[in-house]
Amino acid sequence: MARRALFYVGLLLLLLAVLFPLYWVVVTSFKTTRDAFAIPPVWLFSPTLENYRTVFANRGFLSAFANSFIISILSSALAVAIGSIAAYGLAQQPAALRRSKEKFILSLRIAPALLFVIPMYYLATRIGALNQHWLLIAAYAFVNVPFAISLLITFFDDIPKELRDAARVDGAREFSVFWHVYLPAARGGIVATLILCVLFTWNEFFVALVLTGRNTQTLPVSITSFLTFQGIQWGALTAAATLIMLPMIVLGVLVQGQIVRGMTLGSVKG
Amino acid sequence: MSTVATASDPTRHFFQPIIVCLTVASVALTLFVIWISLHDLSLMRAGREKFVGLDNYVRFFGDPRAMAALWRTVLFTTLATVIEIALGLAVVLFLDRDFAMKRLVRTLLLVPIIMTPVVVGLTWRFLFDPASGMANYLLSLAGISQVDWLGSPQVALFSVLIADIWQWTPFVILLVMAALESAPTDPLDAARVDGAREWQVTWYVLLPMLRRALAIVALIRAIDSIKAFDLFYIMTRGGPALSTETLNYYGYIVAFTNFDISYALAIAIILTIFTNVALLTMYSVLFPKAGER
Repeated sequence: MARRALFYVGLLLLLLAVLFPLYWVVVTSFKTTRDAFAIPPVWLFSPTLENYRTVFANRGFLSAFANSFIISILSSALAVAIGSIAAYGLAQQPAALRRSKEKFILSLRIAPALLFVIPMYYLATRIGALNQHWLLIAAYAFVNVPFAISLLITFFDDIPKELRDAARVDGAREFSVFWHVYLPAARGGIVATLILCVLFTWNEFFVALVLTGRNTQTLPVSITSFLTFQGIQWGALTAAATLIMLPMIVLGVLVQGQIVRGMTLGSVKG
Repeated sequence: MSTVATASDPTRHFFQPIIVCLTVASVALTLFVIWISLHDLSLMRAGREKFVGLDNYVRFFGDPRAMAALWRTVLFTTLATVIEIALGLAVVLFLDRDFAMKRLVRTLLLVPIIMTPVVVGLTWRFLFDPASGMANYLLSLAGISQVDWLGSPQVALFSVLIADIWQWTPFVILLVMAALESAPTDPLDAARVDGAREWQVTWYVLLPMLRRALAIVALIRAIDSIKAFDLFYIMTRGGPALSTETLNYYGYIVAFTNFDISYALAIAIILTIFTNVALLTMYSVLFPKAGER
C-alpha cells in the first residue's frame, strides 16, 4: 500500500514537471502585468483578456497567423500528394532496392538546414523571391517530401498485398489500384502524415527566420518581435505563445498514436 | 525478378521521377554549396567573388570562435543525449506497471514534444527570469541563493540544456514505452521463475530487449541536438559572451550577420561531415553486428 502511494506521488511529480511550464505560460497570459511579475507568485487572481486584446490589435501577428496557415497547409498537402505516389511505388519494390532508396531519403534529413537555406537565400535575393509565399511553400515541401515518403511507406506496408493482387487480377491498372485501393485503405495514415507535416511546418523556426520577408513572416518568427519591441512584453508574449501552440496541441492529440511513429519514421511502431 | 521485368514494372514510374528529382536537387545543391565554399562570396559585394581554394576550411581550424563552438556542440549533444536517454529510461521503468489513467499520462507526455520550440524557449526564458522567474522563486523557498540562469556564462548553456531535456525526454519515454509494450513478456517471467531478482531481470533481460529502441532514439536525439537552434536563438542568442554559441548557431551568425556566406557554408559542410562521422561511430557502437538486426 505504501509502495502504491509512493508510486502515485512519483507520478504526480512527473506530471507536474511536464505540465507546469505550460500551465504557467497559459495562466500568465490571463494576468495583468502587476500579477504576472508579483513575487511571491500570485496563484489566484481575477483573469483579464487585456493581453489577448494587445495581440489581436497587432496587425503583424494576425497576418503571421494567416501566413502560417496558408504555408503549412499548402506545403504539407503538396508533400503528401507527391509523397504518397512515391511511397506507393517504393512499397511494391523488392527489399534490396527499397532499402537503398530509403537510405538515400533518410540521408537527406541528416544535413543541417543551414546547408540548403544559405544557397536558397542567396538565389532568392537575386531573383527577388524573398518576400513571396511560394518560396516558403516550396522550401517546406522540399523538407517534408522525404519525411512523407518514409512515413507513408510504413502505412502502405500495413495494407495486405492480396488487395493489390486481387485488383490486378481484375484488370485494374496500377494507377487505379493506387487511387481506388491503397489511398482509401491508408486514409488514416495519410491524414496522420498530413497533420504531422502541418505540425512540423507550423512549429518550424530556422528556415522561416531566414527565408521570410515582411509579408510572409510566420508565427514563430513574428512572436520574436515581442522580444525586442520595448523590452520584453511578457503579457502579450504569453498570450501569443498560447495562441500559437494551442491549435498544434489539439492536432497533436488527434494523431497521438502516430507521433512517435512519425518522429522515428516508423522504425518503432507506436 | 529479371531485369526486363523490373524495368517494365509500372510501379517504378511512381517513385522514380521523385527520386530522380530529389537526387538531382541534392547533387546540384551539393555542387553549388561546395563551389560557394571555395570562393569568397559575400552578400555585401555579390558578383565580385574570386576563387580562394581551401582558404575557408583552413580559416575554420584557425578560428578560435569556431573551435569553441565546435567543442560546445560536442558538449551539449553528449549531455543532452545521455541525460535524456537515462532519465527517459528511468521514467519508463518507473511507469512499467498497470495503473489508472495510463493512457491519459501518455497523452500528457506528448505536450512538450508538439509544443512549438520557439514557445518552449520563451517559456523557459520566462521561468528563468532573474527577478520574477519561477526558478529563482523555488530556489528562494529552498533557501538557496539566486542563480543568474541565462546571464551567467558558466550557467547559460546548462539552462538551455534543461529546456531541451524538458522538451525531449518525453519523446524518449514514449518511444521506449512503445518498444517495451511490443516486447514479449515470456523471457521476463522465465527469469523470475528461475529465481532472478527484480534488478537482475531488468538489467539482464529487459534492457537487452530495449537495446534497439534505445539505440534508435539515441541516434535521433544526437542528430537533433547537433542541429539545435531555436532554443539558443530565443533563450540566449549565443550569449552571454558567446558562452552558448554552438557551431550551427555560429554558422547562422556568419551567414546572416556578417553576410560571409562562403565561410558560413564551409562551416555548414564541416558540421555535416562531423555529424556523419559522429553518427557512423555511434551506429557502429550501438549496432555492433552490422547487417543483422
